[in-house]
Amino acid sequence: MKISRRNFIKASGVAAAGLGLSQLGFDLSPIESYAAGLKIKGAKEITHICCYCSVSCGQIAHVSKGKLINFEGDPDHPISEGALCAKGAAAYQIHDNPNRLKKVRYRAPYGTSWKEVSWEWALEKIARNIKKSRDSSFVEKNDKGQVVNRTNGIASVGSAALDNEECFLYQTFLRGLGLVWIEHQARI
Amino acid sequence: MTNHYIDFRNADVILNMGSNVCENHPVSYKWIKAAQDRGAVFIHVDPRFTRTSAKADHYVPLRSGTDIAFLGGMIKYILDNDLIQREYVVNYTNASFIVGSKYDFMDGLFSGYDPVKRKYDKSNWAFETDENGVIKKDPTLQDPRCVYQLLKKHYARYDRDVVSQITGTPKEDLLKVYQIYGSTGRPDRVGTELYAMGWTQHTVGTQNIRAMAMLQLLLGNVGMAGGGINALRGESNVQGSTDMCLLFHIIPAYNPTPRAKHKDLATYNETTTPKTKEPMSANWWQNRPKYMVSYLKSMYGKAGTKENDFGYDWHPKLDDDQNCSWLMLFDAMHRGEFTGFFAWGMNPACSGANANKVRQGLASLDWMVNVNLFDNETGSFWHGPGMNPKKIKTEVFQLPCASFMEKEGSLANSGRWVQWRYKAVDPPGEAKPDGDIMLELHESVRKLYAKEGGKFPEPILNLKMDYATNGKFDAHKVAKEVNGYDLTTGKLVANFTKLKDDGTTSCGSWIYSGSYNEDGNMMARRDRSDPTGIGLYSKWAWCWPVNRRIIYNRASVDLNGNPWDPKRAVIRWDPAAGDGKGGWIGDVPDGGWPPMVDKEKTKLPFIMKPHGVASIFGPGLNEGPFPEHYEPLECPVNRNLLSSQRINPAAKVFAGTMDQYLTCDPRYPFVCTTYRVTEHWQTGVLTRWLPWLLETQPQLFVEMSKELGELKGIKNGDVVEVESARGKVKAVAIVTARLRPFNIAGQTVHQIGIPWHFGWRWPEDKKFSRGGDSANLLTPNIGDANTMIPESKAFMANVRKIKSKS
Amino acid sequence: MADKSFFVDTSICSACRGCQVACKQWNKNKAEVTTQRNWGNYQNPPDLTPNTFKLVRFNELEEGNTVKWYFFPDQCRHCIDAPCMEMARGLGSKAISQDAATGAVLFNPKIKVSKADFEEIRSACPYDIPRWNEKAKTMAKCTMCFDRITSGLQPACVKTCPSGAMNFGDREKMLALANKRVKELKTRHPKAQLLNADSVRTIFLVVDDPQKYHKFAAANDIFGVTRLAAIKKMIRPLTNLANWLG
Repeated sequence: MKISRRNFIKASGVAAAGLGLSQLGFDLSPIESYAAGLKIKGAKEITHICCYCSVSCGQIAHVSKGKLINFEGDPDHPISEGALCAKGAAAYQIHDNPNRLKKVRYRAPYGTSWKEVSWEWALEKIARNIKKSRDSSFVEKNDKGQVVNRTNGIASVGSAALDNEECFLYQTFLRGLGLVWIEHQARI
Repeated sequence: MTNHYIDFRNADVILNMGSNVCENHPVSYKWIKAAQDRGAVFIHVDPRFTRTSAKADHYVPLRSGTDIAFLGGMIKYILDNDLIQREYVVNYTNASFIVGSKYDFMDGLFSGYDPVKRKYDKSNWAFETDENGVIKKDPTLQDPRCVYQLLKKHYARYDRDVVSQITGTPKEDLLKVYQIYGSTGRPDRVGTELYAMGWTQHTVGTQNIRAMAMLQLLLGNVGMAGGGINALRGESNVQGSTDMCLLFHIIPAYNPTPRAKHKDLATYNETTTPKTKEPMSANWWQNRPKYMVSYLKSMYGKAGTKENDFGYDWHPKLDDDQNCSWLMLFDAMHRGEFTGFFAWGMNPACSGANANKVRQGLASLDWMVNVNLFDNETGSFWHGPGMNPKKIKTEVFQLPCASFMEKEGSLANSGRWVQWRYKAVDPPGEAKPDGDIMLELHESVRKLYAKEGGKFPEPILNLKMDYATNGKFDAHKVAKEVNGYDLTTGKLVANFTKLKDDGTTSCGSWIYSGSYNEDGNMMARRDRSDPTGIGLYSKWAWCWPVNRRIIYNRASVDLNGNPWDPKRAVIRWDPAAGDGKGGWIGDVPDGGWPPMVDKEKTKLPFIMKPHGVASIFGPGLNEGPFPEHYEPLECPVNRNLLSSQRINPAAKVFAGTMDQYLTCDPRYPFVCTTYRVTEHWQTGVLTRWLPWLLETQPQLFVEMSKELGELKGIKNGDVVEVESARGKVKAVAIVTARLRPFNIAGQTVHQIGIPWHFGWRWPEDKKFSRGGDSANLLTPNIGDANTMIPESKAFMANVRKIKSKS
Repeated sequence: MADKSFFVDTSICSACRGCQVACKQWNKNKAEVTTQRNWGNYQNPPDLTPNTFKLVRFNELEEGNTVKWYFFPDQCRHCIDAPCMEMARGLGSKAISQDAATGAVLFNPKIKVSKADFEEIRSACPYDIPRWNEKAKTMAKCTMCFDRITSGLQPACVKTCPSGAMNFGDREKMLALANKRVKELKTRHPKAQLLNADSVRTIFLVVDDPQKYHKFAAANDIFGVTRLAAIKKMIRPLTNLANWLG
């Protein structure tokens, strides 16, 4: 049974009488597929602040059985009042994403591929590297004989993506190692 | 920001110049729109017609890199027509200060310039003082050596003809903006300015912002609701990371990094603490020694004692003239000066100007630690374009970290609101919160030094890193240390007024003191009450300093403490408050002193400035006390129409083989600028990996005018190559009426624009149907003369078609 | 639940595309693979798809010395009398129905539709909204966030909108708001108008000729309304008959 567009426009009420009644058993009941219920009902709500620009819109994560099921704006937030732009609205995919790094990866000198390694192995090896670089580049006094106590051979960039507490910890860690080459996004 | 996002709604005029607010801070449009509903005028000044321009009441074009000419013309217009808020200017700025006789300005140069060192001797710009060392002033603003008169003289040259020839902005558009913005000099009208990297990423970046700050002061708009000068910062916590001083030149919070000449704590305190002879100046930085000692106590804990200067010697020091800023860092890396490198939550292979130089630099390292959520062009540089992994020695550790929703902590927005967020879900796989990675890494290093010894192990062994609970990083413990403790009682200090310089208090970052005290975690507050009615929401989260929502707010009132505009009072003096002693009502004032009329007890409103007033004359900046127009390093004109100084005389120019700059070169005839779009963020290090966002902006594009498209035979959707003296990238052409050629002193100058969100690593597409590489392969590694922020917003490039539309 | 409507004020849409993505997020609709090649436009995906119920359309115009950039957050209009539904019924398909309370026009994602029937249904829509999932043989479009609105939440696109361009609520309130905004805008924009407000539940406000926003922004008078009338004329007796038969 076909009604072409052209025929349709030409059609009159009489023309439609050709339709078989069996084909017109209209489903007028509520739509079961959509009325099945709200998926976030009963989910745990955790308030958040967006990770992108500096407006800091409020967000709500809906978590059910330890799994993130939805991520949307926080209507109580006085700045954003529930709103999110395209980036904020897509934050769900930061977590639910098959491409997230899930293991520590290591690339050996002159290596042509990544290798997955354990945290323990990596931390031990990085610590060794730090000590080697620091010990070989540490300057207690500069050319003028002034005390400077700094590590010249290691630099760091990062990060405005860290929380404040991590930033403080990070600067403590780096300056504890004697680094002065410390920079991040605020400079670019 | 002096103000905050919601406060946009209080403005009468919103000038968005130096940013693209609707595209890059999209939700804040809510508050611009709220202002428009009240009748406010929204102006967008930008080289491109963007989504912001589409929502603005007026769009005004300007050639990239000519903002000072535009704003200088506005200063002239406001002075010529006497639109200033005189009472404000006389009392709250240094307009009345008399400048010493050594100050001069001639043909683009201020007095004291050394062309060999490309540096000024700033002592030439000092104020004149009386026998007591107090600065001489002329409150009538008539003295020819007063700041106001020198300002008038300086900008007399910026008439609309020359400004229009430099900027390419039609004269009638200049006049329109000057008239509308100039209307805010009345006490009952307020204008605000929203800027971002469109102003910072220039060799004259700091002076772009200063020019606007000067205008805001002349018009009496600083401290006001709906006013101020507002940096729309680019990352969710770039305010906080700056407050925590992840920068070479400062330590928490905004104290200068110790230098070699500061041989001990006393010398540091003596040399770096500002002094003033001005009787009414609060000079808040006189408290620096309290903040410095409390910071050292947070760094080294009990190991820091009075006897060892609280561990001052353990803290690393810069050489006296050492500059370790971003461009210097990658220059040093390129020269092979580092063996080790952390790229923690950053992707410099795409975000660094002249990215080819950065990428080559990475190959000079022995090892790199790259912490991120997704693979990126930095961690994977060794198999990037033009790299031969078999020849690259760099050992790379790529550590998977938790995303923001997978950990707990606070962040600070541009309006200085510090908000707490909670962990929602576990990170995937073996990814860990960054805090845990830092603690574990420190512990691994500490163990090595404890066991084996090594160079100067004391700072490592004595570092206060007791921030774990049950073996896991505990953000609350750090937040409390950042707030500070009274070490005699073990209680959290109420705020920074309780800090001491004798080692009895600790405080990680004094401006955050008060954020997590004995009353609890103030950053986690969610009270929506707003008793002021101007949208301060003072009990929502917490704001530095001391929960002051609009800084410099004592400039929002007259000498009697009455608001300039009672309809949107930020604070006002209530003589009946405090049992008849009087007190401030409203926002937390910049100090509780009584109004200016009480000359005995009052203090001037700009408490962070040594002289207590705001600087229309700014003798601290490297290229001069008044902003002056200079062309970008790479520009389309062979001379500056205002002077013989083509480029910023104090900007550092690198001269290595990778540092190529070409100006007025026929091979690179078009002005190019870089920018962001709503749907991606920074290098795209997160957003390119999110299918919903990649769908909306799948590929590197370059925008150009229809005229340029015609000239170069490029049609919309064509694949083209964009090239500068430093590199080239493939892009798809968007040929659009939204870009227009500029008429620059009678010459047609074309401008093109390219977003910097892409990188070769992802999306993977060898046929270039998606993705692309970084626009920073094109940008020059020259920086602002003060901040060294790269000039990514104005450089020269070429564009040519490489493939026809199929 | 009362008759519901959207009011979309395009004059304050900044094309942040929060709505476009929030819609995908709520429905967990997959992203399309898109390109700028031979396209050169911020509007992406280029058109609505079975996975894209909400699409911000970008339209750029040169008028003398000025340029205009119009944004049109397109979606299903949830027509008062939905031609798509009438057409589906005419074709004997139960795939489309309308919720009596809210007026939401809903495509049943479980009912397969042949390509030919789908094309008829699409052609019946004056706004060119229905899309067909070739693999699943089902149709898809905006659901009015039926699960959300029946639980007292705003549709995802409305909740996420920063400026107030997207609105949703009782039809009377939306119409009042829409009429108030047109009145406000008329002084500066004489062409300010509502699009087919009487016959749709997604009421767009534009400040210029609707064709300058999108070919199908408004129902085409010659084609659309005639067609709508034809559909109604044809179907009504049968609808009555069906009801009568019980």
